[in-house]
Amino acid sequence: MVLDRRKIGLFGAAAVLRLVLFVAFPSLPKLLAGRVEISTPITSFKRLQEGLFLYTHNVSPYDGGIFHQAPLLLPLFGLIPTAAFAPLTSLLYILLDLLSAEALAQIADSGESRQTRLYKSPRRDLSWDGATVGAAYLFNPLTIAACLGRPTSLFTNCALLYAIAKACERRAFMAMVALGLASYLSLYPALFLPPLIILCFDARYKTGNQVPSVLSFALTHTIAFLGSIACFLLESFLLTGGSWEFISSTYGVHLLLPDLTPNVGLWWYFFIEMFDSFREFFLGVFWLHLGGYVGGLCVRLRTQPLFVITTLLGLCAIFKPYPSISDTALYLSLLPCYRHIFPLMRYTFFALATLLYASLLGPAFYYLWIYAGSGNANFFYAITLVWSLGLSVIVSDSLFAVLRDEWEVERPEMKGKDVRQI
Amino acid sequence: MPLDGLGYLKILAPPEKVLRWIEGKLNLLGRLPHYVSIDQKTYGRYGVLPTTSGPSLPGAEASLLLLRRDPRILKAPPYVSLLLILIGLTSLFLLPLDYYSRHTYISENALLPGQVHTYFGGSEQNIFNAYKHEVQAVAGKEQHEISNKLEEIFNSAGLKAARQKYQFEAAGNRYTGENVYSILHAPRGDATEAIVLIAAWTNMDGELNQSGCALVLTLARYFKRWSLWSKDIIILITSDSKAGPQAWADAYHNEHSVPAVEPLPMKSGALQGVVVVDNALNHRFESLHIVYDGINGQLPNLDLFNTATAIASGQMGISVVLQRMWKHGDSYRERLQTMLRGMVSQGLGHASGPHSCFIPYHVDAITLQAVGDGWQDEMAMGRCVESTFRSLNNLLEKFHQSFFFYLLMQANRFVSIGTYLPSAMLVAVNFSIMAIALWIRSGRSTVPTIGSKKKNEEKEPEMEVIRQDGMVAIAPKHRLVIVERELFLPITLVVASHFLGVIPLYIFNHASQSAFSRTFIIFAQANMLLPSFLAALLSYQSPLSTQQRLLLQCFSLLLLGMFLATLATLNFSLAFLIGLLAAPLSFVGQPYSTTSYENPASGGKVRKLLMTIVLQLLSPPAVMLAACKAWDVRVEDVLVEAAFGWTAHGLWTQVVVWCIWWPAWTVGSVVCSPLL
Repeated sequence: MVLDRRKIGLFGAAAVLRLVLFVAFPSLPKLLAGRVEISTPITSFKRLQEGLFLYTHNVSPYDGGIFHQAPLLLPLFGLIPTAAFAPLTSLLYILLDLLSAEALAQIADSGESRQTRLYKSPRRDLSWDGATVGAAYLFNPLTIAACLGRPTSLFTNCALLYAIAKACERRAFMAMVALGLASYLSLYPALFLPPLIILCFDARYKTGNQVPSVLSFALTHTIAFLGSIACFLLESFLLTGGSWEFISSTYGVHLLLPDLTPNVGLWWYFFIEMFDSFREFFLGVFWLHLGGYVGGLCVRLRTQPLFVITTLLGLCAIFKPYPSISDTALYLSLLPCYRHIFPLMRYTFFALATLLYASLLGPAFYYLWIYAGSGNANFFYAITLVWSLGLSVIVSDSLFAVLRDEWEVERPEMKGKDVRQI
Repeated sequence: MPLDGLGYLKILAPPEKVLRWIEGKLNLLGRLPHYVSIDQKTYGRYGVLPTTSGPSLPGAEASLLLLRRDPRILKAPPYVSLLLILIGLTSLFLLPLDYYSRHTYISENALLPGQVHTYFGGSEQNIFNAYKHEVQAVAGKEQHEISNKLEEIFNSAGLKAARQKYQFEAAGNRYTGENVYSILHAPRGDATEAIVLIAAWTNMDGELNQSGCALVLTLARYFKRWSLWSKDIIILITSDSKAGPQAWADAYHNEHSVPAVEPLPMKSGALQGVVVVDNALNHRFESLHIVYDGINGQLPNLDLFNTATAIASGQMGISVVLQRMWKHGDSYRERLQTMLRGMVSQGLGHASGPHSCFIPYHVDAITLQAVGDGWQDEMAMGRCVESTFRSLNNLLEKFHQSFFFYLLMQANRFVSIGTYLPSAMLVAVNFSIMAIALWIRSGRSTVPTIGSKKKNEEKEPEMEVIRQDGMVAIAPKHRLVIVERELFLPITLVVASHFLGVIPLYIFNHASQSAFSRTFIIFAQANMLLPSFLAALLSYQSPLSTQQRLLLQCFSLLLLGMFLATLATLNFSLAFLIGLLAAPLSFVGQPYSTTSYENPASGGKVRKLLMTIVLQLLSPPAVMLAACKAWDVRVEDVLVEAAFGWTAHGLWTQVVVWCIWWPAWTVGSVVCSPLL
C-alpha cells in the first residue's frame, strides 16, 4: 500500500497539534469537557467517568441517573489503566479523530460525491483529494474543541463515517455493521439506514456482477443492520449483569428527553417551557419532524444518496434532541466532498459569519447567564437559535446548489443564469 | 367542523351568476395562466416568477437583478459605515438628555430603603473616638501589631476574630498583607447568607483609612447588640484596598492560589451584599462618593446603588456624588462628563475600590467614600451604613430585580442597556458591513471598467445579454462573473496575527517593573515599523493580488466586528472605545471609486500615506501614551497596575487590547502600507 506523503504530513501535524494542546494546557480538556456546547447529557465525558467508576466498583452504572451512554463503552474505557487514564484517553481520542479523517479521505477519494451510478455532475473536475478533505476535518476548530472535550459522540461519528466509507467501497455488510454500531451508541444514526442502503445498492450495481432485486437487497441489509444491533445489545445485556435496565436509561433518554441541560440544540428550551400534558405530543412531533426528512430526501435525491446522508447529518446537527458541536463538525467535514457545488452556493459567507458570530456570542451569553448572573436563559437560547439558523442556511443552500447542479444537466442552456424558486 | 353551524351564512354569498359575470369582465381566467407559468420541462420544480404581460414594466425584474451589481451600490458601504459610526456616536451624546435617561427607582420591594429608624449615635460616638485613637496609635506599625490590635478590639466586642495572610507577585513587586475579620452570627438566621462590611486599612489613594476602620469596628460592636439580623454579618479589615479584598474574596469562594494566599479559617453562607467604608478624613465631610465599578466593567445591581443613594440623600440628607464629580449641577455637560468618566473607568476594567473584587463572584458591592469639607460627621456615615444593612437584611433573595448593565450620569439618573447598547453595536456593525462589502468586491473580476476612459474608447467592455421571461437587459459581462477566491493565505495571516498578540500580552504581564518603561519604548518603536516590515515580507516573494488584499482586510474586519459585538454585551464601554479607536480601519485599503477594479497600487499614494499617518497616531501604544499624557500618569504605573490586575484580579482588558485591537490594527496598517 502506497502511503501518501502529504497525507501523512497533514495527519501527523493534526495529531501533534492535539498532543501539544493536551500537554501544554492541561486544564483545557477539563474546561472543554464541562462546556454545554460540547458535552451533552448523553455524550459527556464527565458522566462517562462517573459511569466507569460505578462499573469498576461493581455497581450498576445506570444507578443514580447520571450515566446515559451505551454500556459497551465501559469495558473499553475500563481497559485503560487508571494510573495513566488521562494521557491514554487523549491518545485514544486523537486516534479516533485520525480514523475519522481517514474514513473521510476514503469517501472523498471514492468520487461518490461527484459521480454516482445515476448521475454525473458537470462540475466533477473541481474537487479536493482525500488528504485535503481529511485535513479540513482535522483542522476544523470545532473538531479540535470536540476532541479536547472528549465527548463519546466522537465514537458515533467515527462509526458513521466508516459506515459511509465502507458503503462507497462496496462493502455493504461492513457498512451495515458500522451503522449498527453507530445506532447502538447514539440511536439517531438509525435514520441513515435508507440512504445508506441506497448507497450500497448503487455501489453494488456499479460492479455489474449479478445485480440483485431491490427488495431482497434492502431486506437482507436491513436484517444485517438489525442483526448487528441485536448482537451489540445482547453483549451489553451480558455485560451489565443480565439486565435490560440500560435500554431505558440510554435510548429512553435519547427518545424522551428527561434531562433538560442546555445545549446548542432547539429542544431543551421548548421542553422546559412546555406544560407537562403536551410533552408526549410534542416529543412525537419533534421526532416525526426529524424522521420526516429521511423519506423526502431519499426520494428527491435518489440519484445522490451520499448527499442525502450529508444533508441528513446537517439536519440532525440542528434538530436532534441533544446536539453538540461535534455533530456540526461532522456535517461540515462531509461538505468538502462537495467542493464542486461550492461555486453554486450563494450564502456561504453570510452563513459562516453567522456561525462565527454565534460561536463567540454563545459562550459570552452563557457566561452572563450562569456565572455573572446578569443575563438569563433567553440570552443563550437566542444564540442557539442564531446558530441553528446559520446551519440551516448552509444546509438549504447546499441543497439548492446540488439541485441546481442537477438542473443544469437537464437544461445546459441555463448555465450561469439566475433562477428563483417559487 | 366548528364552522358547520354557520352554513346559513351562505345566503349572504353573492349568487354564482354574478361571480361569473365579474370574472368575465375582469378576464381573470385570461390573466391567470400568465400569473404563474410553470416550467414544463422541469416538472414544476422551478418556475419563473410573475410575468404580467403588460407593457408597464419592461425589464424591471432583470434590472433589479443588475441593481445588486451596480457600482453605486458597491460604493455605498463606506458611507453606510461612516453613517453608522456617526449615529452611534451621536446617540451616545444624546443619552444625558431627559428624554433618553431615566430616574432611578427601587425595583426590589423588599429593600424598603430608609424606612427604619436608625439608632447609631449618642454614646457610640465615644466608642468611635476611642477606636479612632487605637487605630491612630498602631498606624504605620508592623502588620502583626496592627492585626493583634484589631483582634483585641474584636474580642473585646465579644466577636471571634480570624486572620488571613496573603501574598501576590506581579511585575517583580510583592504585595503582602493580612486580613482580619470576624463573623457576627445572625440571631435569626441559619448562616446560609451573609452580608459584608469592609474597611481597608489604607484606601485606594494609599492614605490611612482612620475614621473608616474605627467606624467599622464601632459598627461591629453596635450590630452585635441587635437581635434583628437574619443574615450573618462579616466585618472585614483588609490591609490594603486592592490585594487584600481580592485574597479574601478568592479564599471565601475557594478560588485562591495556594500557598500564596491562605485559606479562611471561618466562613459563613453565600454573600448577599458588600459595603465598603472609606473615610480617611480627620474632619467632618461634605458628601458621600459612591464607587461602584467592578473588575472588567462588571457592575453591581443598580438596586444596591439606589438603596445607598436613597438612604444617604433621602434619609440622612447627605449629598451623593459619583465618578469624582465633586460638583454636579445637573446640567447636560456635567451629566455627560459623569457618564464619560464612568465609561472610561468601566472600559479600563481595573479595580476602583475594595468592592471591585467581589463583583466577579456575583456579589453586589459598593464603596462609600467620605469626601469634601462639610458638616456631616462620622456618626451620619455610620447611620447610612446601618440603614443600608437593615435594607440588605430584608432581602429575600439575591439582587436580581434591577439592572446589571447601566450608565449612571448622576446619583439619580441612569440609562439602561437597551438604550445605550445600540451605539456600541452600530460601531461594531460598521466593521461587519465593510467586511461584507469587501467580500463581495473580492468576488468581482478585475477587468477595467467604465472608469478607465482610455480603454473604454478603444473597445467596449464585453457585454452580456440577459434574457429573462421575455425581458432583456444588457450588462457588462465581468460584473456577472464571480471569480473563485483564494482564501487560504488571507485566513492564515489574519488568524496568525491574532495569535501574535500573545507576545506583547506575555511581555507586558511578565516583565518586571524596572524594565517597563524601556520595554514599552522599544515596543512602541518596533510597532511603528512593524507594518512596513510585514508588508515588505509579504511582497518579498510575489506581491499579494488585489483579491488577497481585499480578503485580508475583509477577514480582519469581520473578526474585529464580531469580537467587539461580543465584547459589547460584556463590557460596553471597552467595546465602544476600542470600536471608535479602530474605526479608521474600515476605511483603509482601496479607494472606493468606480476605478476600484484597477490595480490599486497605481493610484492613491497620497491617500495611503495619509491613512498610514492616521493609523500610526491611533496605534495601541500611541493611544496609551497620549492617554497617559492627558491624565498625567506615568506609563510605567499604568503597566504595573495592569500587570497586577492580570495576576490578582483576572483583568482581561489587556487581552482585548493585544489579541483583538492590536492584530486588527496591524493587518489594517499592512494593507495600507505603501510597501505592499
